[in-house]
Amino acid sequence: MDDIAGLQGQLESAGYIAESALAATLLLTLDLGRPLLVEGDAGVGKTEIANAFAKVRNARLIRLQCYEGLDVHAAMYEWNYQRQLLAIKLLEQDDRPLADKEKDIFSEAYLLKRPLLEAISCEESPVLLIDEVDRADEAFEAYLLELLSDFQISIPELGTISAITRPLVIITSNGTRELSDALRRRCLYQFIEYPDFAKELAIVKIKAPQAAEQLARQVVAFVQQVRRMELQKKPGIAETMDWTAALLRMGITVINDEGAERIIDTLSALIKTREDRTGFTPDVVARIAATC
Amino acid sequence: MLTVAALEQSNVGTQLLTRIAGFTGFLQANGYGVSAADSVDIVDVAAQTGALDQAILRWNLKSLLCNRYEEWQRFDALFDAYFLPPNIKVFVQSDVAIGTPEETTTGDGDSTRESSATPENAKIDETRAAQYSASREENLSSTDFSELNQADQARKVEALMRRLARRLKHLNLRREVRSQRGRRLDLQGTIRQSVATGGTPLRFAWKTRRRVRPRLVLLLDVSRSMNAYSFFYLRLARALCNELADVHCFIFHTRITGVGEALRDPDPWRAQERLSVLAAGWAGGTRIGGCLQDFNREQGARLVHSRTGVLIVSDGYDTGDTALLADALGTLRRRARRMVWFNPLLNQPDFTPVARGMRTAMPYLDLLAPGADLAAIERVLPQLIESLR
Repeated sequence: MDDIAGLQGQLESAGYIAESALAATLLLTLDLGRPLLVEGDAGVGKTEIANAFAKVRNARLIRLQCYEGLDVHAAMYEWNYQRQLLAIKLLEQDDRPLADKEKDIFSEAYLLKRPLLEAISCEESPVLLIDEVDRADEAFEAYLLELLSDFQISIPELGTISAITRPLVIITSNGTRELSDALRRRCLYQFIEYPDFAKELAIVKIKAPQAAEQLARQVVAFVQQVRRMELQKKPGIAETMDWTAALLRMGITVINDEGAERIIDTLSALIKTREDRTGFTPDVVARIAATC
Repeated sequence: MLTVAALEQSNVGTQLLTRIAGFTGFLQANGYGVSAADSVDIVDVAAQTGALDQAILRWNLKSLLCNRYEEWQRFDALFDAYFLPPNIKVFVQSDVAIGTPEETTTGDGDSTRESSATPENAKIDETRAAQYSASREENLSSTDFSELNQADQARKVEALMRRLARRLKHLNLRREVRSQRGRRLDLQGTIRQSVATGGTPLRFAWKTRRRVRPRLVLLLDVSRSMNAYSFFYLRLARALCNELADVHCFIFHTRITGVGEALRDPDPWRAQERLSVLAAGWAGGTRIGGCLQDFNREQGARLVHSRTGVLIVSDGYDTGDTALLADALGTLRRRARRMVWFNPLLNQPDFTPVARGMRTAMPYLDLLAPGADLAAIERVLPQLIESLR
């Protein structure tokens, strides 16, 4: 229990408010050396976990952003062809044996390290963040599985590169595609909900210390209300922070039903689709504001 | 690796550890995808982190044993049921199944007899169907899912779905991948290969359009007016689920329920059992609008993207609010790539879309297709594939 509270404190000083359950899971990832799969709605702070955890452990954060069509060359390694070609031309005058030249051209100097190779060749164990893994396709997922079980990459021209230290792997997913059971089985799992009032208030206080206590409370109460509405895109924590900044910029220090008109001007920071925006008439805003 | 046997010799508390090890079995009985290896893991973890603190044990086991959100949601209740006094094994039902099996068996067996009618000889009188469909009540009688495993039609259905799946494989994307042959030169790859020949590009690398299959979302109406066709479509859905990976199947009547996992179950009898639990309310009334709205809210953002084809199977008899239906269909239509509606009644010669729901839906559809039997679907297949392109 002390470890958990300790980690929570450290995460907090790194700017991340974690529940005890999350802290316990992070400790467990360290103990078991397994990757952690984090799921949850967009904007609940999945990626931020990796940032904060890297800060706490004083480790490097290596980030691999997944996208549709991500392939091995973009994720693992690639040869620097241009330099290789240049080297070939330059070496033509050289009268060293051919085998030596070839060794030279396929040496690490010409290897472009992409995030995954980078992560396993670090001296000190880094935090590897594989962001939005559901955007990459199944083939890449299979490749990832292989890496996560052996922590080695084989490069035909160079041989097998094994991990010096094991990276701490955090995988996030938005659930746009169902992940394979094999990947899920290898990972610890954590689902992050939208924060409750107390947690979000703590986050606002940490991230926007210039906002007065009363405003922070009202902002969080307002956002919590908005999340309960039927919206296409519910505001995440980032939106809350943006909105707080927008309110401060406009010089609004208190949210009440009289200032509804001015609040509406700032809502573009909170509400991100046209359909949702049409629902926020002055009456609606005034009603929500009155309850804050 | 610490085994249960090794732990029993140590004095950490044998009873406690066997109890913890038994937790995986309990979760398995509740439909979790856990294995024997997991029970070794959790005993291991419990021994390392201390099993006496209830909160830590709960958090650790939760992240270790849950694999997806549904399991995550149900975990705490199951944990309490297993570990907390008075330690009675209560099977906590997932929130999709409302009635317990005991409850659902009571009631009339009418629906079972009706559902045995094959689609070929089922010509449902529209007025009768309308009369039946005008109920908001859920049907609590149990449904006989043994029809699902009948062999007579199964092979034909599978063959048709295989054809559909094969045709869907040929839909191309703009994104390109490297390939042996292709239409466009892959410069990067060519230079890469030319390294082997001293910088002279002797062999070319090519790029070709990447092939991609659209995601399919099936929404099957299993209300009473659709009774004669429900099993037929469920069979189609199962065959399609077996052919394609990215198919998501839901049934709806007064509620909407995901049945993808149950349909994919390799054991046909287990699939039957799981379905009969999920299908509480089968052959009851219809609330298409409400169900679609639920779908939009709970699954829409996750499942429906710009390459998703939504296939709705329904006769359009709806007791709900048409404005609600129009609203839900509009939202779904904006998210999805294509929306196709199969209406089994469309085959009848004097059919006009008089049903309220059908009339409301028309503006949102890319294709309205007849679908009373296999032959009708076969005929409409080219159009369907074209519309998913």
